[in-house]
Order: sequence, then structure tokens, then C-alpha cells
Amino acid sequence: MSGLWEVLVRHFPQFLSGFVVTIQLVAAAFVVAVVLGVVVAGLRVQPLAPLRLAGTIYVEFFRNIPLLVLLFIAFAGLRRAGLDISRFAAGAGSLGLYTAAYVAEAIRSGVFAVGQGQIDAALSLGFTYPRTLRMIVLPQAIRTVIPPLGNLMIAMIKNSAIIGVALALADDLLKEARVINSRTFQTNEVFFWAAVGYLILTVGTTFVVRYLERRLVIRR
Amino acid sequence: MSYLVDPANWEWLFAGNNLRFLLQGFAINLQIAILAMVLSLVAGLGLALLRVSRWAWVKAVTGTWIDVWRNLPLIFIMLYLSLSIPESWRTAYQDLIPAWLPDAFDSPFFPAAVAALTLYNSAVIAEIMRAGIQSLEKGQGEAAAALGLSYWKSMRLVILPQGLRRMVPATVSQLITLNKDTTLVSIIAIQEALRHSRIITSTSGSPFLGVGVDAPLLHVFLVTGLLFVAVNFALSRLSRRLEVRERERSGIAVERVTGIEDQLDTA
Repeated sequence: MSGLWEVLVRHFPQFLSGFVVTIQLVAAAFVVAVVLGVVVAGLRVQPLAPLRLAGTIYVEFFRNIPLLVLLFIAFAGLRRAGLDISRFAAGAGSLGLYTAAYVAEAIRSGVFAVGQGQIDAALSLGFTYPRTLRMIVLPQAIRTVIPPLGNLMIAMIKNSAIIGVALALADDLLKEARVINSRTFQTNEVFFWAAVGYLILTVGTTFVVRYLERRLVIRR
Repeated sequence: MSYLVDPANWEWLFAGNNLRFLLQGFAINLQIAILAMVLSLVAGLGLALLRVSRWAWVKAVTGTWIDVWRNLPLIFIMLYLSLSIPESWRTAYQDLIPAWLPDAFDSPFFPAAVAALTLYNSAVIAEIMRAGIQSLEKGQGEAAAALGLSYWKSMRLVILPQGLRRMVPATVSQLITLNKDTTLVSIIAIQEALRHSRIITSTSGSPFLGVGVDAPLLHVFLVTGLLFVAVNFALSRLSRRLEVRERERSGIAVERVTGIEDQLDTA
């Protein structure tokens, strides 16, 4: 058991920096995912068919493609194509683009949950369609999507582990754990602490989401 | 954009053995996926039943097990298993494995890959199934008991058929995720679609014939990605069709409990 604590104490700075990088990756990707997700969800409820189709194609492409393939395309592929994209941007960007498809679907379900009656009412009051979306539908829809958004946040934390070990795009928690392991060969101890790190993030997010859910839920 | 659609950058696709090589790799992903899907569904159902057990301690232990595995990154589990399985086990596995099994089984890391996929996905699926079982009205179980059905009989005949049917969309979503996650096995050195794609790009042309046609990484991985998109898209359509048929048959909307399910425009 003493070996377990020894590994943590000796390599704490590395574990910590990996932990922080994981949070940075997820935070950056989350911003991308939510902004883009709202745009794509908006496209998918447009009255214009070509816009709807564009939204559908986005969702079906990014939801069905493996994140790892996306990472290869975003980093190695674009670099060879002559686009100088930074490692962090490629990693967090891919994760964001990937998750945006799920966010868009979650928001769309939320938009449908608002109900046609309210949309009709807003339109009959002279609101334009974009304005109805922005002022009537989205504020309500965003509350309804807090629980699914929380689940997506947890999925992002888990998915972010791919970024470091697959293409060395970031020195996140799992990457650091692998580096420490290759020096110490104390696989069980090193991975135990990495697991603790990930569980703090994922289980912690679960609790935050449950709290927000209780606070913000709209009672109908 | 011109880089993407330039015909010269697409020549590799039909040069030499490239396309066949890519599809062979993809077939390995599918084999791993099918095996892991079957194992995860079976293990997931078992875990879900334990999770709704009548004994509090069984519930608690299973609950902790499920929560730990589904909250860890899959790649973390995979990497840990591949690093911690002793080499003697790996050689023993390779000696044991019969030659007639598909190519995917040959790698010494294959058991670690399938075990990781199953550990993670069975935990997620167990949670989905539990939600389905517990979403049923209490009256269902009570009525079954009043009719004199034993616990297992009421589970098998009354609770599970209804509870699991509700969870088909969420379960299929998870199976699609599993299918995508088979690409992660490339990280622990199993030859599959992504490794084959890299071989094609790095030999700039066919890995066997050396046709010398440049194979840009962007284009190769786009094709690989589209293979996954095609299969997963078909899976999600299939699940939606099942759901619509179910709704027509039963005459009522199938209740959905959790999961980010995609809704049809006509729904």
C-alpha cells in the first residue's frame, strides 16, 4: 500500500498538470460544441429545406464517425494539406465538432419540447421566425437540455483521453499516466491514480448536473 | 477545397490493392464490434438484473461496479488492461487460439481489447436496461405477483419484454458508439482499419504493389471515416424503423426514458 502513495507523492506535479490539461481540453471543446451545436440545431428547425439538409448532414456525419478518425483528419490530414493547425486546437476542435452533433440533437429535442403552440403564438404576435427561436424557444429549450448537456460533458471528459495517447496532441491525464508508467513500470499504482483523477471529473460533473437540474427544471 | 476534390488526390483509391486492404482492416473492426456487442449485451443484462435485485448489498455492489466502469474513459481501460496483462498470458493466448478464427483474433492484445470494450459497454448498457426496467409502472410487477408468477417468471414474461423494448433506441445508440470505439484498438497495436489507413498513406500507394500513387492522409481517413458513417447510419435507421413499427403495432407511442435519441422529422 505504501507504494501506492509513494507513486502519487513522487509524481504529483505530473499528475496534476495532466489533470489540468484534461480540464482545459474539455472546457475548450465544450465551448465549441455548445456554440456550434446551437447553430446546427437552429439549422435543423429552419423552414428552408436546404438549410435543414445541411444540419442533418452535419449531425449524421459527425455522430457516426469515430472520434479517432476525426483527430487524424484534423491534425495529420490538415497539416499535410498545408494548414498549420496547432496540436491543442486540433484535439479540442475535433472533440468539439464531434460533440456538437450530439449537442444539436439534444437542443433540437428541447426545442420540440417547447411545443408548437408557443411558436404559433409568437409568430401571430408578429415575431419573425429567427426572433421566435431566439427569444421564445431557445431560453426554454436550453433549460430542458441541461441534463443531456451534462451527460455530454461527461462523455467529453472520457473522450478527451483519446487525444493525448493517440496522436500526442496534448499532455493530458492519460498521456501523463502513460509517461509515468513507462518510467516506473508501476502500472497498477499509476493507473489507479489516473482513474481517481477521471472519476473525480466524471462523478463530480454528475453531481453538479443533478444540482443544476433541481435548481433550473421548469415545472409544467 | 480544390485540394480535397483534385482527382489526382483520389487516384490511390483504385490503385493496386488499396481499397481491398482498407476494407480488410474495416472487416476486423466489424468482427471485434460484433463480438463485443454480443458480450456487452449479455453481461449488461446480467448486471441490470443484479442491479434491481431484492438484496440491498447485491444492488450496492453492482451499482458501484457499474458506476466505476462507465465513468472511466474506455481508452483508459483498454490501455491499462493491455499494459497489465502478463506477457505469459499473451503468449499462452496466441498458442491457444485456433487458426480458423478470423484475423482479428490473432493479436496478443485481442483479449485485452475485447475485455475493455465489454467492461465499459456492459456497464453503460446495464444502466440503460435498469432505467427501462424501473420505468415500468409498479402495477406491472404487482399484477404479475398477484397472478402467482414467481420473481423470475414475472421478470422473464412481464417486466423484461416491456422494459427492454422501451430501451431499444438508447441501446442501439450505445452499440453505434461501441462500433466507433473499435478504432481505439489501433492504439494498442491491433491491425485494423486505422492502421491499414496509415500504412496506405505512409507507403504512398499500395502496400503490396508499390504503385507509387500518392495517398494523401486527409483523403484516406475521410474514406475510412465514411465506412463507419455508412454502417452506423444504417444501424440507426434500422433502430428507428423497429421503433416506428413497434409504435404502429402497439398503437401507442413507445415511451423513451434516457439517452439522446434522434427524432424523425415526421415523428
